[in-house]
Amino acid sequence: MTTWLLFTYKVPNEPSARRVYVWRKLKGLGAILLHDTAWVLPATPQTREKLQWLATEVCDMVGGEATLWEATTLFTGRDTDLEQLFTGQVDALYRELLTELGRDNADLAALAKRYQQAKRQDYFQSTLGEQVRQVLIERRGGDDQ
Amino acid sequence: MRWVTWENVGVDRMGCAWLILRSIDPAAEFVFVPAGQSPLPEGCEPFDIPGVRLTHQRGHCTFHTLLREYKLDDPLLRRIANIIDEADVVQDVLVEPIAAGLDALCQGIRRISADDYTALERGRLLYDALYAQLAAENQS
Repeated sequence: MTTWLLFTYKVPNEPSARRVYVWRKLKGLGAILLHDTAWVLPATPQTREKLQWLATEVCDMVGGEATLWEATTLFTGRDTDLEQLFTGQVDALYRELLTELGRDNADLAALAKRYQQAKRQDYFQSTLGEQVRQVLIERRGGDDQ
Repeated sequence: MRWVTWENVGVDRMGCAWLILRSIDPAAEFVFVPAGQSPLPEGCEPFDIPGVRLTHQRGHCTFHTLLREYKLDDPLLRRIANIIDEADVVQDVLVEPIAAGLDALCQGIRRISADDYTALERGRLLYDALYAQLAAENQS
C-alpha cells in the first residue's frame, strides 16, 4: 500500500507573486492537485522534508495557512489509479523528449536538463524514463558500451 | 552546549552539525528526537525543526540561518549554503550542479550508518572535502 502526503494551503489573493511561488514549488515537485482540493505526493523522506518546509514557509506568509497530512486510501484500487496519474504526468514529459530527441538538430544539452527535471518527478520509475536515458546516451555519441 | 534536532539527518542537518562544530561550538553535543516530538528536551538549542529560532527562513535552509544568526561571514560558507538550498528546498532554477550529488551522498551516508551520531560524524568528512575543494577552485 502506498502512503501519500496531502498538502492543503491558503494564501491571500494579493500579492499574486506568493500564490505563483507556492504553485510553482508544488508543480516543481510533480505534486498533483486532486479534485481541486488537496495536492498529493507519494510519501518519501524527501517529499516529507520538502513539503514540511513548504508548509512552514506558507504559514510564515501574512494570512498564510497550510496543513500537511499523511494518508492511505481505504478504497480499493485507488492506489493504482493515483500511481497512474503520476506516471502519466511524467510520461507526457518523457514522450515530448523522445519526439525532440528524434530530430537531427536536437539540442542534447537542453534535453538532458529537461530529462533530469522530469526524472526528479518520476516517483514510480516509469520505463519511458529509462528509454529517454538510453537515447540520450546513444545520441551523445562516443563509446559507452 | 547540547543541540537538538530531528532524527534521520539529511543534507541540511549534516551541514549544520559540521558548521556548528567548526565555527560555532567546537564542544557541541547532538541530541536526536523523533520528527514532531514535543516538547523538546530542555537545555538544548534546537535547530532545523519548524518553528524554532534556527530553522528555515524565507525559503532558505537552516545552514543559511546559522550563518546569519552567528554572523559568519565567509564567502565559501555562503556558497555551501546555496548548494544546500538547492539540495534541500524545492527549486526550479538550479545553478549548483553539485547539489544533487551532495544530497544523494548525504542520504546514502545515513543509510549505511547505524545511527544519526555516526551519520553526522561521517558527513563531516564530506563537508570538509567540499569546503577544501571550493577553496581550491576559488584560488585558481
